[in-house]
Amino acid sequence: MTPFMAILQTQYPSMDDAHLAQQARADPEAFAELYRRHVTSVYRYHRAHTDNDKDAEDLTSQTFMVALEGIRSFRGTGPYIAWLMGIATRLRARFFRRRGSRPEIPLDAALQLPTSGLPTDKAAARHLQMDQILGALRSISQDRAEALILCFISELSTVEAAFVLGKSEAAIRMLISRGLQDLRTRTSLALEVDYE
Amino acid sequence: MNKELLNQLPADEQLVAVKLSSVAEQMKLSQSFQWNLETQLRAAYQSKKEAGQKSRPLNILSPIGWAIATICSVLLLSWIVRTLLPELQVAAGPTVTQEVSFETNVRAGNICAAPLAVGHNFSVSLTNQDKTGFVMLDEGKTIGELRSFAWSPDSRQLAIVGNTTGQGNIYLTNSTGKPLQPVLANSELGYLMGTSWSQDGKLLVTWSAQNNKVVYMLNTNGIGFVKRDLPVQIFETPQFAPGHESITFYGADSSLGDGLFQTMLNSSRTTMISDLVEDEVSFAWSPDGLRLAYIEMDRRLGEANLVVHKVDTGDKVVIASIPIPKGSGSSIPSSANLSWSSDGKALVFDFGRGASDRAVYLAYSNGTGMIKVADSAHAPAFSADGNCLAYISDKKVFLLGVRGISLTSTTAIPWFLAELPTGRSIADYRLDKLQWRP
Repeated sequence: MTPFMAILQTQYPSMDDAHLAQQARADPEAFAELYRRHVTSVYRYHRAHTDNDKDAEDLTSQTFMVALEGIRSFRGTGPYIAWLMGIATRLRARFFRRRGSRPEIPLDAALQLPTSGLPTDKAAARHLQMDQILGALRSISQDRAEALILCFISELSTVEAAFVLGKSEAAIRMLISRGLQDLRTRTSLALEVDYE
Repeated sequence: MNKELLNQLPADEQLVAVKLSSVAEQMKLSQSFQWNLETQLRAAYQSKKEAGQKSRPLNILSPIGWAIATICSVLLLSWIVRTLLPELQVAAGPTVTQEVSFETNVRAGNICAAPLAVGHNFSVSLTNQDKTGFVMLDEGKTIGELRSFAWSPDSRQLAIVGNTTGQGNIYLTNSTGKPLQPVLANSELGYLMGTSWSQDGKLLVTWSAQNNKVVYMLNTNGIGFVKRDLPVQIFETPQFAPGHESITFYGADSSLGDGLFQTMLNSSRTTMISDLVEDEVSFAWSPDGLRLAYIEMDRRLGEANLVVHKVDTGDKVVIASIPIPKGSGSSIPSSANLSWSSDGKALVFDFGRGASDRAVYLAYSNGTGMIKVADSAHAPAFSADGNCLAYISDKKVFLLGVRGISLTSTTAIPWFLAELPTGRSIADYRLDKLQWRP
C-alpha cells in the first residue's frame, strides 16, 4: 500500500486548507495533503503535553483518525488547523482524565529521543533543556501554557489559537505575554541552558 | 519557528519564545511512525468508503422517504393554516408592510443614510450607494491586512490600521472610499493593533503588539507624533477620555491583574477603574463624555453587569444584568462591542460563549430595562440617526428598525442587508466590527 505522502506531495501545492477539507470528503488524496501539512503541529502539541514519544504518537494517530471520521463536520467557520487542534485538545484531555495524572517519562522513551548527528554531551544537554522547558510549561497556569504550546510549539498563529481555545485574539496575546513572563521569572535557570 | 509572532513580541519576551521554538524543532517525527500512520489512514479511508458503498441503497431510499414526509407535512400545515387560523393571515399583513417600508426607506436613503463600514477577515468595506452590498477598500491588496478601523467623530475620515510584513501604519480615506493615504511617512512602530479618535477628531491613538506598554498619538497629517510610556500593559485599543487628558483601556498590571484602567497622559499616573472588566471591547464613553459604560463579569456571583459610571458624581449604577451559567470557566461567556446610541439613551453589546451562541442585547441607559434583540449575532452598531441597528449573523449583515423596539415586545423584523465580504484570510469573529459613519 502506498503511503499518502509519497504519492501526494505535489498534488495540491496551492489549494488552501478550507477547499482541501471540502474535497477531502470524497478524495483521500486531499485528506492526505491536509495530513502532510499539519502532522508536525499535531505531533508537537501532543509531545509537549505527554513528555514521551510513544504517547504523543498514539495521540497523533487518534487525532487524524478522528479527523478522518469527522471531516464532514468541518464547516469552514474557522481555520482547518484550529478544527484539527480542537480534536487534539479533546483527545489530550481525555487521555489525562483516564490516566488520572500527568505521566512520568518512561526511561526507555527518554533514551529514544531523536538526536541524529549530535555528540552525546550536546544531545544530553538538548534532552535536559527540553525536559526543563516542558517541565517549566507545566508549572505555569494551564491556559497560559496552552497558548504558548499552540503558538510556539505547534506554530499556530494567534488567530488560529484563538479559535482553538475559544478566546479572543487579544486574550491569546495576553496569555502569551504573561506565560512568557512566567517562564522567564520562574525558570530562568532552565532557559539559560545553552547547548549550541 | 513562528517568526511572524516572534517579531511581534517585545524584546525581553523574544528570548524565552525563541527557546520554546528551539524545543519545538527538536520534536521530530520518526519516519517509521509517519509511514505507519499514513498506511493506517489510507486503510481507514478505504474501509469507510466500502462501508458507504454497501449502504448506498439505503442512502438513496432515505432522502426519498424524507422528501415524501416533508411534502405531506407542508400540505398538512398549509391546510391547518387556511382552515383553522384565518385570523393569523390578517395579522401578518401589517408586519409585511412594515418590513417593506423599512427596507424602502433605507434603500432610498431616507433613514440610516450614512455608509456602514465593516471589518471582517482582515479587510474593511463600505456599503455601496443603495446599500445592496459592500465595496472592499484597497481591493488591489497593496496593504497586507486591514485589521481595524474607526470613523472620525466629524464623519469626514475613516482611519484604518493596516499591517504589511509586520509593520503597521494608519491609513485615511473617506466615505467615498478614495485610495488609502498613509498617515506616517515611514512607520517603524511594529505590528499595529488598532486605533481610535479623540472626540475633537484631531488626534489618533494607536499601539503595537511588540511594545504594549507604549501608546502613540499623532495628528492626521502625521505631524506631532507623541510616544507615551505606560506603567501597565495594554491589551486592546485605548479610547481617549473626554478632554483628551487621559486614555481608558483594558490592560494588565503585574500586581493588580487585568481590568479597566485609566492613564493620565501628562503624568502616566494610572488608576484601575474596575478589576471585573475582563473583555477587550467592553467599555465605551457616552457621546456627551459624561458617562463611562462597562461590563463587569462578576463570576463569584455569576452575573455579568452592565455598569454606567457617572464621571461628575462618581456614581456607579448597574443598569442590567445577565446570568453567567455555573461552570462557565474563567473566560466564557464573554461580552464585546459595547457602544452607545448617538442620543446616549441606549447601549448595545453582544454576549455569549462562541460565535454561534452569542446574542445582541439592547439596554436603556437610564436603567429601565434590557432586551435581547437578536440571537446568533454579534458586532452590533447603532446608526447615527438612531433608526437602525446593524449586526452580523451567519456571515450576513442584518438591519433592525430600532424605533419599533420596546421592552415588552420586539415588533421589528430583521432585514437582510448584504453578505459579509469574503475578506483576505480567515480571522477570529471577534475582530468583526460594524460602525456607521457618524
